[in-house]
Amino acid sequence: MALSLEEVSIRLDGHTLIKPFTMRLEKGVIVTLMGPSGSGKSTLLSFIAGDLTAPFNATGAVTLDGRNLDGLPPEKRRIGRLFQDDLLFPHMSVAENLLFGMPRGQQQARHAAMTAALAEAGLAGFAERPPHTLSGGQRARVALLRSLLASPGAMLLDEPFNKLDADLRAGLRDFVFRHIAARDIPCLMVTHDRADVPPGGRLLLLGRGEVRDA
Amino acid sequence: MARTLRRLTPAQGALPIIVLWALPLAASVLMLLPAIAEPDAWRQLQSHPQLWSALVLSLATGGGASVLALLMSVLVLAGLDRSRALPQLQALAAAGLALPHLAFAIGFGFLIMPTGLIARLIEGGTTPPPWVTVQDPWGLSLMLALALKELPFLLIAALAALARGDGTGRLTQERRVAASLGHGAGSVWLRVVLPQLLPSLRWPLVIVFVYGATVVDMALVLGPTQPPTLAVVIWHALNHADATVNGMGLAMTLVLTSVLAALVATTLLLLQVTLPRLRHWLCAGPSLLAAPRGMAVVTGTIAGLLMLAAILLLALLSVTPRWPYPALMPPAVTFAAWTTLGSSAAPLWLSLLLAAMTALVALGLALLWFETQPEGRDRWLIGLALATLALPQLAVAGGQYRLFLGLGLTGTLPGLFLAHLTPVAAYVLIILQGPYRAFDSRYMMAARSLSVPASTAWLQVKLSLLRAPVLTAAAIGFAVSMAQFVPAQLIAAGRYSTLPMEAVTLSAGGNRPLTAAFALCLAAPPLAAFLAASLLGRPRWR
Repeated sequence: MALSLEEVSIRLDGHTLIKPFTMRLEKGVIVTLMGPSGSGKSTLLSFIAGDLTAPFNATGAVTLDGRNLDGLPPEKRRIGRLFQDDLLFPHMSVAENLLFGMPRGQQQARHAAMTAALAEAGLAGFAERPPHTLSGGQRARVALLRSLLASPGAMLLDEPFNKLDADLRAGLRDFVFRHIAARDIPCLMVTHDRADVPPGGRLLLLGRGEVRDA
Repeated sequence: MARTLRRLTPAQGALPIIVLWALPLAASVLMLLPAIAEPDAWRQLQSHPQLWSALVLSLATGGGASVLALLMSVLVLAGLDRSRALPQLQALAAAGLALPHLAFAIGFGFLIMPTGLIARLIEGGTTPPPWVTVQDPWGLSLMLALALKELPFLLIAALAALARGDGTGRLTQERRVAASLGHGAGSVWLRVVLPQLLPSLRWPLVIVFVYGATVVDMALVLGPTQPPTLAVVIWHALNHADATVNGMGLAMTLVLTSVLAALVATTLLLLQVTLPRLRHWLCAGPSLLAAPRGMAVVTGTIAGLLMLAAILLLALLSVTPRWPYPALMPPAVTFAAWTTLGSSAAPLWLSLLLAAMTALVALGLALLWFETQPEGRDRWLIGLALATLALPQLAVAGGQYRLFLGLGLTGTLPGLFLAHLTPVAAYVLIILQGPYRAFDSRYMMAARSLSVPASTAWLQVKLSLLRAPVLTAAAIGFAVSMAQFVPAQLIAAGRYSTLPMEAVTLSAGGNRPLTAAFALCLAAPPLAAFLAASLLGRPRWR
């Protein structure tokens, strides 16, 4: 599986935010994109996910595993996303949050997968808890599990560690990178903290509208 | 003003609203209790031949209208969720909210009656079709009119709750996540938005149900007659010359209030038991269910067109003395009705005066309270305000009548003013409380740190930032006062007449142009007030 961007460019009210660029994200690899705020990093993720809204517009092709995503709504793209906030649904328990995106199927099997994921993440026993009773670090881990249990074909991370305390960040980075690597899917992360870049990972810089390798 | 406010003790700030609003209100409700101990009244009540059938009609029309209004609002909101038409929907709903129930009922009646515009459009022929629409024995036209009129109210309540939930864009982000997890827009709305919205719709729904099950003016125009709804039976009893019949009316009011309270409590309890059983459906897995956009547009358009048509028809009828059946347009136009109205305009002026005064006084009382009281004390006042709206108007006004009779306030202008202030202040308090308490007081500190006098800071910073909710509250207060029929008629005691009283009386007679002219006079000022509030309240930076 791979995520390809071909001649993608992004414009805001007619002026170019990101000039056309092409890249290919291989499976199991996390690519980091850094740039100043307002440079269009998050907008690029919205375009890939399929929910870019006015006044932004974009051109170019996005393909996931050879499948052209052009014109597909977000729910049909199978692209998971993590944001700065965990965005766990407040009216659902931890377990219900995890089951929300898990493909339909036999109920027992779904529950078993959910329980196993929680246990592996060191969150056994948290299933019936409402999200607000968890710590920030725990919620962030549940949010990642929720994305991955939906079996995405690729992951987009939008400054996922930004709002966490410094002492939690290292642990969570490790958790996120490990889980995404285990799923063997391509992943694009935007951040403005160089410490977020996974060791040995590819780093792209976005500046003056151009995307280039660091 | 701010300096004066700061010099006031909390007790001085609270006293006006307690004396003018809270105490009369509490005393009015308590005045119902003596009715429990009047054996004659209960004997009459038990032998009343229409009691049970009228009660069933009231519950059916109120309940049916609430369910219909809820279904329509859910459909419209789910279909237009995140659409660019949302601001326009909000503006339309505000206009619909401002339209008095009675004016809409009169116009709607003219629209659906066998000789009405709809029959002319779809049936034609030389004689009117044998439709049973206005005052149909099942209360269907009343139910439909109620549902249409409550749709804007539920939409406004829901949109306000959604905007609150989305204060930091949180709900928008949650929608994004849900879509990335494979859920279509319809599924996202049902599984993520609706469950978080429903709790804030609980009170609005109770208010809609109780209002629908106890409405008098609309039921007199559109409701069944043999038997009528219980509210109408009570209404005739309260206006009867015989004091024991009045007592029976109050006893019936108690029965109706208790049945409604029991029904609301049972429904809430049932929901508490059944809703958790639906939880597994929330997390059954992704569904590509799309947003019901087409159905939402159709529902919203039909509802909007019916309301618009009702008003336009009033305008047309007010200048049409004779309009023989199959003709689609009136043969001639005269302004005779408007001339008549102009020569007997006292009710119009009285209604406008009462509406302007109660809206301003209620606003002043509310601001005085919020400026001098700690937020924790709001609970009591807001509780009382919600109770005013959730109680049948007949109960509050019936008790108020007894109270004012004892105090010599019936048939007086101060009495009329206080009777109108009761619902107006309740609405103003409920609308203002949220925005006023959410105001970030650091803006005031920032202004004061720039050596700006307190009064200037209050006017130019606080009131300026809160302009939209303050103006909305005043406009709604104005509209609510204009629409009052039950308390106006009871407290006026035949010595004064307001617009709704004239309109109800006229609608029972045969003078269509004059009825339409009065109904239009009833509708226009609230609509104008809303328009003014929305134009003046627009934020500068947009």
